Amino acid sequence: MTVRFSRFATASGVVLAASIVAAVPEASHAAGNRGSSPGVPVEAVTFSKDIAPILFARCAVCHNPAGSAPFSVLTYRSAKQRASLIASATKRRFMPPWKAEPESGDFIGQPRLTDGEIDLIQRWVEGGAAEGDPHDLPPRPRIAGGWELGTPDLIVSPSQAYTLAAGGSDVFRIFVIPLPTDRVRYVRGLEFHPGNPRVVHHANIRIDRTPASRTFDDEDPAPGYEGLMAHSAVYPDGHFLGWTPGQVAPLLPKGLAWRLDPGTDLVVELHMQPSGRPEPVQPAVGLFFGDDPPERTPLMLRLGRQNIDIPAGEKNYTITDSFVVPVDVEVQAVQPHAHYLARDVKGVATLPDGTTRTLISIKDWDFRWQHVYRYVTPFTLPKGTTLAMRYTFDNSAGNPRNPQRPPERVLWGQRSRDEMGDLWIQVLTRNNRDLETLTRGVRPKVLAEDVFGYEREIQRDPASVALHDDVAQVYLQLGRSAEAVAHFDASLRLNPQSAATHFNLGTALTVAGRFDEAIEQYGAALRLNPDYPRAHNNLGSVLLQRGHVQDATAHLTEAVRLEPANVEARSNLAVAYAAAGEYERAVELVQTALGLAPLEPLATLLRDHLELYKERRTKR
Amino acid sequence: MERAPRLDRRTWLLLAVSAAFALRLSAASAPALRLPDLDNRLVDPFQTAADTRAIVFLFISVDCPISNRYAPEIRRLNEAFAPRGVVFRPVYPNPAESPEAIRGHLKDYRYPASALRDPRQQLARFAGATITPEAVVYDRQGRRLYLGRIDDRYVALGLERPAPTRHDLEEALDATLAGKPVPQPTAPAVGCFIADFAQ
Repeated sequence: MTVRFSRFATASGVVLAASIVAAVPEASHAAGNRGSSPGVPVEAVTFSKDIAPILFARCAVCHNPAGSAPFSVLTYRSAKQRASLIASATKRRFMPPWKAEPESGDFIGQPRLTDGEIDLIQRWVEGGAAEGDPHDLPPRPRIAGGWELGTPDLIVSPSQAYTLAAGGSDVFRIFVIPLPTDRVRYVRGLEFHPGNPRVVHHANIRIDRTPASRTFDDEDPAPGYEGLMAHSAVYPDGHFLGWTPGQVAPLLPKGLAWRLDPGTDLVVELHMQPSGRPEPVQPAVGLFFGDDPPERTPLMLRLGRQNIDIPAGEKNYTITDSFVVPVDVEVQAVQPHAHYLARDVKGVATLPDGTTRTLISIKDWDFRWQHVYRYVTPFTLPKGTTLAMRYTFDNSAGNPRNPQRPPERVLWGQRSRDEMGDLWIQVLTRNNRDLETLTRGVRPKVLAEDVFGYEREIQRDPASVALHDDVAQVYLQLGRSAEAVAHFDASLRLNPQSAATHFNLGTALTVAGRFDEAIEQYGAALRLNPDYPRAHNNLGSVLLQRGHVQDATAHLTEAVRLEPANVEARSNLAVAYAAAGEYERAVELVQTALGLAPLEPLATLLRDHLELYKERRTKR
Repeated sequence: MERAPRLDRRTWLLLAVSAAFALRLSAASAPALRLPDLDNRLVDPFQTAADTRAIVFLFISVDCPISNRYAPEIRRLNEAFAPRGVVFRPVYPNPAESPEAIRGHLKDYRYPASALRDPRQQLARFAGATITPEAVVYDRQGRRLYLGRIDDRYVALGLERPAPTRHDLEEALDATLAGKPVPQPTAPAVGCFIADFAQ
């Protein structure tokens, strides 16, 4: 007999940042090389011939009249109005915003300028920023108006605009947007439009297949909420989501889509910078669907520490982490994440033969440019390769980005005044068996760090229901059901009138094998909310396990009635019917469950059951 | 050493000399300037009510994001110091910005309404301002007491503190009203270059 549990009802948790990279045309000019040759007189540098090719190729993707940047470089007139600014910003390498050192290889959409190009711009401005002959201008770059990836299959927005105040520090706010779909879809692309590019600096995007994020949003009367991202808000099926200006992730190749289930929410954390006047903010997200389920699923390997504890004034605090891959992996992309205090960020792979390859190196980390770095040419690292990261942080008063003045002790945490240090590495494995091996290898390590972070957050905020709920889930995933029960119990004491909390505790008690106590908790949940399909399902499952087929059937029937698309409830009800000898009804339920595109391993199990029930048997 | 800050500092040194001149020749040099207001009437930027104790020229720009981000801070300072006899005058040195655009900008960002245009950057040159946003403080006698950044929030282009730690303009105004030596900014203003606006 099989007992399946629905997902948890509330949660909150760990946030990391994301973003997206898109292809930018290569600069099709020889100017970069010319700039460093001393023979070219300064007078020869003109906008039309020398500078426009650089600006069009590297800058115009944002600096166009409809773009996210403050001025356009498409005409001499508008570029001239900012000539010294362009010279100064490029010389500092503040613009284009590309932080990766060249040693880590070529990334998609890399707008990094060469030293020669920067030098040429300086000489253009020093020489009076001349226009030159407009006939020398290269063709204008194609600037996509509207959606760059095509016509989205679904466009969603927060239901109302958020108003960003005129002044003050940067604002981080999480918006939870339902993704209305009546069936399973496979997502090949996601395009983010900031709505108000003047103030939206970047977006971290996740999906939540549970109601956890929605609950947080509902608790805040204004659009969105400020706080922690739910632990259940995740990158879908190993795919990065997110946005930084000028970067649009290309459509995923066929066979690499991610699965979107009905009832899923998009979770969008916006980093906003006040503009000086109140600004409405209402982003839009376009989704592009494909017909085919994924053939391959990438995996996010997360390196990083949650025991970060930086003394006040410490200039050079270092964290390191590493993981040895147990199978061959093909590295697709990386994304470093840290907050204001990080200075030097490095990821290195050491192969079994001792050779090393830099995955990413950023010498002047800037929290505001949270790119995903996608390799132009993904590369294979053999089994036994050590993936390692080393980040340094500056918590002294000499770090202008330090949010605390005078500096204070800084611990790990999701809020911008806390610090984080993670390196996400997206890999593909040779096959699904390798994927399972890799998942089994990395998961306990990542969850153990999560536990560290949560326990620390709970020390700071012991009365947070969300933190107890989240860490309890992490403990369950680690197979530590006693700790899970303890934290759900703590959550229940803080929030005794919540049906979801009773349900959660019941589920952890079930996993711990404490069935009688579990039945009590499900009963309590149903007294508070009689129309709670997942509580009916789990209670029915436990009753079935205990041999109370009739009571179980009643609760499972109610679960299916309340939530017809619940595959687990249908599967469990089929088991109950089969146990009572009602095989026709069992077969019908399994068939409808299979029609709802269940995930593995449930799908295989259902197909096995279907065969058995057709033969009017419950076991082989 | 980078080009732009070096240029600033050089300009600065020159202007320290011209300020010394202004101190002696204020009555002769200052009134020679006439700037257009938003109705294209030429006005004396130094003309103020009799009880004015200091004038602050704020060089700003319609399209400069760093300049715009200072609007709430400028409003705060105006509200704090206007009752104490300080007049705040936004000055728009970009000739490409029309009176209509400026009117809309003043309204959107709730700036003090007494704005002037400086399309030929005469006042900018006279006062030594090179950046938007940048503040210049004059006393009743036409002596320039302060030239520079509003606060230290921006360290450089692309390098910004989460919040300012030193309110340079506010400290300068406090000292001015108290009759004390006026502290000078220790780093250049950061923002858009007024020189780029020249036609």
